[in-house]
Amino acid sequence: MMALASALGVTGAQAAEKPAALIIAQGGLGDQSYNDLANAGFKRGLEAAGLKGRTVESKDVVAQANDILRRASDAEFGLIVDLEYSHGTPMLEVAKDYPNTLYGILNQVRKAPNIVSVLFQEQEGSYLAGLLAASVTTDTSIKGINPEPIIGVIGGTKSAGIDKFIAGYIAGAKAANPNTQVLVAYSNNFADPALGQQMAKAMFESGADIVYHVAGGTGMGVIQAAKAAGRYAIGVDADQDGIAPGSVLTSMIKRTDVAVENVVKAYGRGEKIGGTTMAFGLKENGVGLSEMKYTKTLIPAAILAKVEAAKADIIEGRIKVWNVVEQGYPDYLK
Amino acid sequence: MTAMPETALAASAASGWSRRAGTLALPALPVVLAFALAAIVLALAGHDPVDVYGQLLTEAFGSRQRIASTLAASTPLILSGLAIAVAFRAGAFNVGVEGCIYVGGLAAAFAGFTFTGLGPALLPVALVTGIATGALWMLLPGLLRARLGVDEVVTTLMLNFIAISLTSYLVNGPLLAPGAANSATPMIADAARLPRLFSGINLNAGFAIALALVVLYWLWGRWTAIGFETRLAGLNARFARATGLDVPMLIIRMMLMSGAIGGLAGAVHALGNVHRFVAGFSPGYGFTGIAVALLGRGNALGILLAAILFGALATSGATIQLFTDVPVEIVNILQGMVMIFAVARFGLLFARRKAS
Repeated sequence: MMALASALGVTGAQAAEKPAALIIAQGGLGDQSYNDLANAGFKRGLEAAGLKGRTVESKDVVAQANDILRRASDAEFGLIVDLEYSHGTPMLEVAKDYPNTLYGILNQVRKAPNIVSVLFQEQEGSYLAGLLAASVTTDTSIKGINPEPIIGVIGGTKSAGIDKFIAGYIAGAKAANPNTQVLVAYSNNFADPALGQQMAKAMFESGADIVYHVAGGTGMGVIQAAKAAGRYAIGVDADQDGIAPGSVLTSMIKRTDVAVENVVKAYGRGEKIGGTTMAFGLKENGVGLSEMKYTKTLIPAAILAKVEAAKADIIEGRIKVWNVVEQGYPDYLK
Repeated sequence: MTAMPETALAASAASGWSRRAGTLALPALPVVLAFALAAIVLALAGHDPVDVYGQLLTEAFGSRQRIASTLAASTPLILSGLAIAVAFRAGAFNVGVEGCIYVGGLAAAFAGFTFTGLGPALLPVALVTGIATGALWMLLPGLLRARLGVDEVVTTLMLNFIAISLTSYLVNGPLLAPGAANSATPMIADAARLPRLFSGINLNAGFAIALALVVLYWLWGRWTAIGFETRLAGLNARFARATGLDVPMLIIRMMLMSGAIGGLAGAVHALGNVHRFVAGFSPGYGFTGIAVALLGRGNALGILLAAILFGALATSGATIQLFTDVPVEIVNILQGMVMIFAVARFGLLFARRKAS
């Protein structure tokens, strides 16, 4: 078996011919979110690159970092994309032992010559969400909107990873209207819809009419509260507009599928992406607002045009949105 | 090994041989039945069962590295199986080992990234922290059961939810690693890591600890007075009480012991494998441990073999997907079937006990 593996290693010099593997994160396939999206992108990438690939799923995935990564490396997979966040550190150790295998990790940077890190520019999408919200919040012609320039945002926890969204949101809001007041609160829990509902209700009662959530399952409560109060929520990660049609103004979508698809394609073309960080922002279509299927008709065309213009400005580099993870905290968010 | 002090139990000498033959053959039966039934499921789903089982076998035991992976995967199951078996012996059905793994794992990881000034003493300190936390976690249900007769199945089951929520809160808030986007504590210090047993092989000293505990468990059951008393109390509490044993105290002690081993399972998992505490720390080791204890029929060797079986299924079930189209669900079905048959045996035992 060892002889076979080493023989394959010699013949498999052309990296782009070796198959690719995708390791599914906790929660597994069928989550209609992160894992499913990434897997769809993986399949598209394989198709486009003409590669073979396998998807590995396990309820023991946290414990099996070393096991699965090493097995896939031994089995001559050329690219191993790992969706499980807790695999970042084990991946560093495994990658050292398999210099000819390329590894991919999401939402974190792991520095090694054969690891490609994938980051999302969530601040860019959040900037557009803030711009849209602050523009809408004073337009009383829209149902459920009061004249106060107050909007809100609820984060799952006080951390740089979450404040990256929030800082972008505030920046976008201030760009639309410098007088906008942004209420910021943290739920300290990503899985408590009842808490999210309470917090959003409190924000609506203090004059906010649009609340953005960056709080996973807790955010479901934010959307419910918006529906109950006749106000608006802004969804995150996936297109959540359909959860309460008409009550979700828009969603800030993270296109995990686009990211994984691009990593697989780059690998297929034989590009040397190991050691780099691939950032997926508005330009790469890695983040962005939903198509606003249910709310597009409510929003004045001028506001939508303003959002589109800001999007173009960010893509062209005329606007650079503050990135908390890279730049630390800005003055307006301490 | 032949000179067992079991002669103290008059009945066991006579039925000793037939019983020993039974303990070897009977546990194998649910496994065989489960694999046979799963083969039918596989065939119905369009997979060749022989081929799939061959692949599973290769992935579980096909090379030194794969055997190491299987043993690594079985490590938390050996410990949780023992934790449950210890309580079973005293007649307590402790389903709270999962919670002990969570609190013990978090406590050990906390010690591992906090008391970094301890140097080489850090690893034992972290292990003991996990063990103590696990034991403390079982104090309340132990007391409630022993003193007030509160059903430990209910209390320990409920404590699992509290343990998972509590650790999840801590790891999302106060103990969250700075800058981490997901729920995880900082990494533990290198000095807190359980070392690998062999260089280049992915198997850590946690497996050796688990093996040592299997031997201790065997010695405890066979040779120590408290092991004998526990068995007595578990088999017939009223008789044990009549002979002057303090059964409630025994139950408390065994619940604490069970919690300690559960806490150790969490500590070993945190210090040997994950090297931190993360959300989703245990995929249900405490529950699989129930199946391990039942399938192993409370016997030391049986628990070891049952844990290796479930460990083999877990590890081969994941990596087999690199080579075939068999979905992980099939392996889960297989695992579930072994569990069901293991529990079925248990039901029979119960019926027999009531009848006698």
